[in-house]
Amino acid sequence: MKIETIKQRKEILQTIRNFYDTLEYLEVETPLISPTLIPESNIEIFETTHIHPFKADKKGYLIPSPEVWLKQFISQNHINVYEISKCFRNSEQSGKHHNPEFSMIEYYTMGFSHLDTLNLTIQLLEYINSKLPYSKLSKKSEILSMNQAFINYAGFSLEDNYTIDKLHKRAVELGISISDDDDWETAFNRIFLDKVEPNLPNNVNLFLTDFPSNIKTLAKKIPNTPWAERWELYINGIECGNCYSEERDPQVVKDFFNEESEMKEKSRIQHKVDSNYYTIFKDFPKCSGGAIGLDRLIMGILGIDEIEGVILFPYRDNI
Amino acid sequence: MGQIKAGAIEKGMFILEKETPYLVTEREFVNPGKGSSFVRLKLKDQRNGASLKVTHKSQDNIDEIDVEEQSCQYLYTDGENFVFMNNETYEQFEVPADGLEDEKWFLIEGDAYRVVRWGEETLGVKVPPKMDMEVTEAEDGVKGDTVQGASKYVKVATGLTVKVPIFIKQGEFIRINTDTKEYQERINK
Repeated sequence: MKIETIKQRKEILQTIRNFYDTLEYLEVETPLISPTLIPESNIEIFETTHIHPFKADKKGYLIPSPEVWLKQFISQNHINVYEISKCFRNSEQSGKHHNPEFSMIEYYTMGFSHLDTLNLTIQLLEYINSKLPYSKLSKKSEILSMNQAFINYAGFSLEDNYTIDKLHKRAVELGISISDDDDWETAFNRIFLDKVEPNLPNNVNLFLTDFPSNIKTLAKKIPNTPWAERWELYINGIECGNCYSEERDPQVVKDFFNEESEMKEKSRIQHKVDSNYYTIFKDFPKCSGGAIGLDRLIMGILGIDEIEGVILFPYRDNI
Repeated sequence: MGQIKAGAIEKGMFILEKETPYLVTEREFVNPGKGSSFVRLKLKDQRNGASLKVTHKSQDNIDEIDVEEQSCQYLYTDGENFVFMNNETYEQFEVPADGLEDEKWFLIEGDAYRVVRWGEETLGVKVPPKMDMEVTEAEDGVKGDTVQGASKYVKVATGLTVKVPIFIKQGEFIRINTDTKEYQERINK
């Protein structure tokens, strides 16, 4: 990483902080080690041990995102908040766009839906472009629904082919290798990653909206549709942000925890889950949270196409 | 032939995809924010130069093929095929020109090459990273042109056109980077 890039990275982070500070979001710092995590079956985590000389040792886990803390904070303080945090994801192989330890900004706005956060995020990107003359981010942002993206790039409507049997058939027609054991999400991802994602417009800041609610997250479902109130941000064709209208029905959160905990048993590293976490949603404000991978955003701003170009001392196994 | 997890595939390996043997030319991991991990591969059919992009779940089982490198002598070409001979068995075989788009510029009759074979199939001819080749066509440098760094184009024995410094003459040998097809230096033979 060049010294010039290190200085620009510092300036970019300062600009992002200025944006949220001006809007009077409170910046907080939450722990990187947590005794429990939100179960996410697809994310492998790092574990560590807190030793005690006289009592039993305790397991702790490096957070894959600050969500587990920020939601507790919001349940106690109904205010707009952001955090710039290190996040840790294990077993994601290093490569052009991955480092197991990375920086993320997560920001929550009270009263907002995912679409309000989308507009706020466009404002953030415009603010970065206006403050940093060297920014290579596109001045244009575009919104594309997942269903339209499937129509454009996979040649079929996802909504009309939503069952696993139909997805299987479409995959076979498209020449995509698919296994009979694949669950819905795997079948979806095989088509999405092969046909849709590589063809998404990469000359704009792209907001891909309305993700299938079959992908289990804590995003609110859009009633009477197969979609969730969720979007992802793509910059130069690289996924670098994710946002929900936050689910706040305690029972739905409880069910999510139970289902994901069960799936999590297949993971290499198990972690503790707070079985009472859902109770924080008994008094949880309507809000929307967005998260942006800062290293990837910085890649986009500086026009650098490998993550190791924007972080000091990248962890690299085999690129 | 053995099986390998897609997540363990590396650039340079040979795999079987849709019953076709391919060289892996690029490999990139993709982890959807909320999904399990996948790999995107760029593959090349060395027999005809055709490329293919595929996506696999990291846990998918993929057929890895065991290729063999043989020392072979390049004999001649009839335009459509290049004919080689295995130096140990004296077996002669043809390799279609379509699969040798880059390599053909560095094949010199009588020279030995490492040839990648899988059964009867030839999956690649390895040319050395640098080769010394004779300049067969060169115009004289323009008189009075003494500007440093001035260059011109010459042809070498295989027909490849190379950009060289203006002082290179016909009949001289030059060293070429076979990957970039660029001139490196003049060789005194």
